[in-house]
Amino acid sequence: MGERAAAASLKFVTVQANSASLAEARARVFEFFKTTCRSIPTVMEIYNLQDVVNESQLRSAVSSEIRRHAHITNPKVIDMLLQKGTEELHNIVQHSKQRHHIIGQYVVGQRGLVHDLGTKDEGTSDFLKNFYKSNYF
Amino acid sequence: MALRAALIRHLRVPVQTVSPAGRVSQPSVANSLFGSIRFMSSHDDHLSKEDVADRVLSVVKSFPKVDPSKVTPDVHFQSDLGLDSLDNVEILMALEEEFKLEIPDKEADKIDSCKLAIEYIHNHPMAS
Repeated sequence: MGERAAAASLKFVTVQANSASLAEARARVFEFFKTTCRSIPTVMEIYNLQDVVNESQLRSAVSSEIRRHAHITNPKVIDMLLQKGTEELHNIVQHSKQRHHIIGQYVVGQRGLVHDLGTKDEGTSDFLKNFYKSNYF
Repeated sequence: MALRAALIRHLRVPVQTVSPAGRVSQPSVANSLFGSIRFMSSHDDHLSKEDVADRVLSVVKSFPKVDPSKVTPDVHFQSDLGLDSLDNVEILMALEEEFKLEIPDKEADKIDSCKLAIEYIHNHPMAS
């Protein structure tokens, strides 16, 4: 691994996030974002993504994932989301996932779900599309 | 032992440069030329400020949410370019990648305009 990724991966060994305030949770979010961005060169090398994406696109993908939850104000919810994010990052960096997972979730996934890009689902209603994504919309 | 040390101290041999021909040589012109060009020195390989400024501006311009025509060396990321704090961090990460640096959190919090970024990177000893 590069030196930056090796140094950043030490941050995986973390204490359970327990933020006292929104400001602390916000600081943790930025910390998580930086760790993720510093691991991006490693991820590209592990999964051979050099021809598929470049690093700034992956950074944008990560930041849009974080931005989806930007409206949340409860520090405990933010901690929970950070824990899920850290777990996901850990899985990716440890090569527990595979190339098609990364491409489907973070490369193509930003343009809409992969199966939505096919012609079969183009006519389906927005209600169904939202329903497939989550229970609450 | 002390006598031996005292004797050795008294026997001082003048140091002279001896050329391969066996003759004592004066410091030649060639030696003084080589003395001014330091081939193995890394003291002068700091980036120039224009170089740093060009590369910083190109990184900011290629950021997807930024309008390239608005980018000047004095532009402020959040107030002039309409970005938010997460975008600010993202630009800093792009700069870290470009210059192969790692900016600590305390310094990173203060950098929120092109001018500060150019200054910080120019003063950083490890920027390349």
